[in-house]
Amino acid sequence: MSELFTQTLINGLLLGGIYVTVGVGFSLVFGVLEVVDFAVGEWVMLGAFAGAVLTAALGTDGLYLVPVVFVLFFVVGFFVQPFLHHVTTGDRPMPLLMGLVFTFGIATFARGAVLTIFGPNTRSITSGATSGAITLSGIGVFPTIRVITAAFGVLSLLVFMYYLYRTKGGMAIRAIAEDRTNARLMGINIRRYQSIAYGAYAGLTATAGIFIGLIYTASPGMGLQYTAFAFFMVVLAGLGYLPGVILSGIVLGVVQSFVAVYVSSQWVFFSLFALIYVVLLVSPAGLLGKGEAAT
Amino acid sequence: MVTSLSGDLRYGGYVTRRGYDLWKQEINKQGGIEVGGEKYNVQLVYADAKSQPSTGADAASKMISNEKVDAVLGPYSSNVTLSVAPIMDKNEMPHITGSAESPDVWKKQFKYTFGTIPTVSVTADKVAETLLKLKPNAESVYVTGVNEPFSKSTAEAMKTGAKKAGVNVLGYDLYPRNTDYTNVVSKAKSKSPDFHMHGGHISSHVKLMKAAKQLDYNPNGFFMHYGVNTSSYKDGLKADAKDTFGATLWLPQVKRSGGVLFGTPQKYTDAAKAAYNSAPDYTQAASTAAGIVYQEALKKLGSKPPLSKDDRKKLIDILENLKVQTFYGTVDFETSGDRYHDNLGTEPLAIQLQDNLDPKIVGPKDVAEAEADYPVPAWNAR
Repeated sequence: MSELFTQTLINGLLLGGIYVTVGVGFSLVFGVLEVVDFAVGEWVMLGAFAGAVLTAALGTDGLYLVPVVFVLFFVVGFFVQPFLHHVTTGDRPMPLLMGLVFTFGIATFARGAVLTIFGPNTRSITSGATSGAITLSGIGVFPTIRVITAAFGVLSLLVFMYYLYRTKGGMAIRAIAEDRTNARLMGINIRRYQSIAYGAYAGLTATAGIFIGLIYTASPGMGLQYTAFAFFMVVLAGLGYLPGVILSGIVLGVVQSFVAVYVSSQWVFFSLFALIYVVLLVSPAGLLGKGEAAT
Repeated sequence: MVTSLSGDLRYGGYVTRRGYDLWKQEINKQGGIEVGGEKYNVQLVYADAKSQPSTGADAASKMISNEKVDAVLGPYSSNVTLSVAPIMDKNEMPHITGSAESPDVWKKQFKYTFGTIPTVSVTADKVAETLLKLKPNAESVYVTGVNEPFSKSTAEAMKTGAKKAGVNVLGYDLYPRNTDYTNVVSKAKSKSPDFHMHGGHISSHVKLMKAAKQLDYNPNGFFMHYGVNTSSYKDGLKADAKDTFGATLWLPQVKRSGGVLFGTPQKYTDAAKAAYNSAPDYTQAASTAAGIVYQEALKKLGSKPPLSKDDRKKLIDILENLKVQTFYGTVDFETSGDRYHDNLGTEPLAIQLQDNLDPKIVGPKDVAEAEADYPVPAWNAR
């Protein structure tokens, strides 16, 4: 096996790790709140910008900002959710569409606000972790920051799953996802738990933005591509099936890398779309067949 | 003047506007343009292209019919220029742009459109050739680019420049805008080229360099064409931006003889700083030069405003035969072929970000102000 082959595999796996960090939160809000959040990529962008601005202002290593940005955006998400709840409930027709329109508005507002306040410039988040790498002779290079990002993605998925399946709060959120009316009758404070879920999603996705800003850069227009990849992720994972996110991230990353290196980079997006369509046609419940369409 | 004063291109739009405004300010300070013994002040009317080619065309049409202008200074970006140029031909309205860089603008041979920036296919080609002659001579090069019209033209020109310099092109790949550059870098690294050249926009330059550092990819030099001397590139990479090679057409410190209106590049820079509190870039300079070219052509025409249709036709003939020495460089428009009405006179410069990320001119030899740091140090030695 040539070093280019193994390096491409490493690139693909670590790229998959980046997608996992974005896909986890998106899959969560889709699964438990039944909201298709069109602003997912903009939460990434806002997190990356917050990281860039804070590292410049405080002179700290970008990685130290991870908990700060998580808490900051948890609070933002916590207070945005009641508005989202308002437009997706009551006597409004087509709540899914209403949620989509509402989050589209958030996305447009976020992008425009950042462009107006900070201008169009590309910005970087600095960290000592961006320069290191683990080199295995004859196999390839594992850039430290990408390894940390992939580990963060998998770890955050495990934490979310633990919360959902091993705690009372998680049980409440799953009950809301199952049947809102019955959950309310059981005495669950729906608004509070939905706000927690949306806050966790916004916090996690913005934190993913810091890692993405460390690996690439922060720029006002960066969000849209992550919105697209988040949709790819949940389709491949199976709608609402959280553990599938890891597999779908790996598949997306590895396919992208191998097509770019061994076929042609111009076929990358064609290949990814083809993959999504085939999965939708053959296994609409995702690669593992465990998404919502299976039930 | 039609340019983008809102939308995604507004930053560049305002750069062109500053260039045009500065010309107006300076010429009016001197009493205006002298025509037939009398001096006339310049008046600029603004039309907003809103960063959209179709809106640019509408705005240009409205400006011509409502404001009765005598000549037009062109928009920011090649795409908007391509939609405005046919309107100018239809209305027989002279039009000089200080920003369009795509070769497509000139291939269409619009009779009434001129540009002061030499097309990217020539600048990238010449600078690539200059850089590949740095000692020790590069024997191989890897060329990548973003698969979009401007970037693709740049990458193709880099490849042409490498072939002209007799250097082996080990690979030529075009990538989508939002690709992950570890793949680009892994493929290039596996071929161990002496030089890596990339045609793209600033964010792609930054992503490529970040991936190169992450994967410890160390060719002797990276050439990123336009954009390395921008705050966006420097903010995106911080200290890692150092040693990157780029291309430009003009810098405040370039040794050019000056000529009409602003005596030297430095005098122009001082005037720009006084007016806007920031150093001008080559697009702003080229936009000011577009105004200077008009003023010289109008002097030769000798007709008092407003210009008749015949006057405007004569103005085109004058522009085709005019050669103007400016602080920006010589402006001399081509009159046939694929570069019809593009400026052939201004030489592109090879630059490198050196200490404090200051751009230094490292080629061609006759205008170089510093030795190139070459081969550039490996990432782990920086």
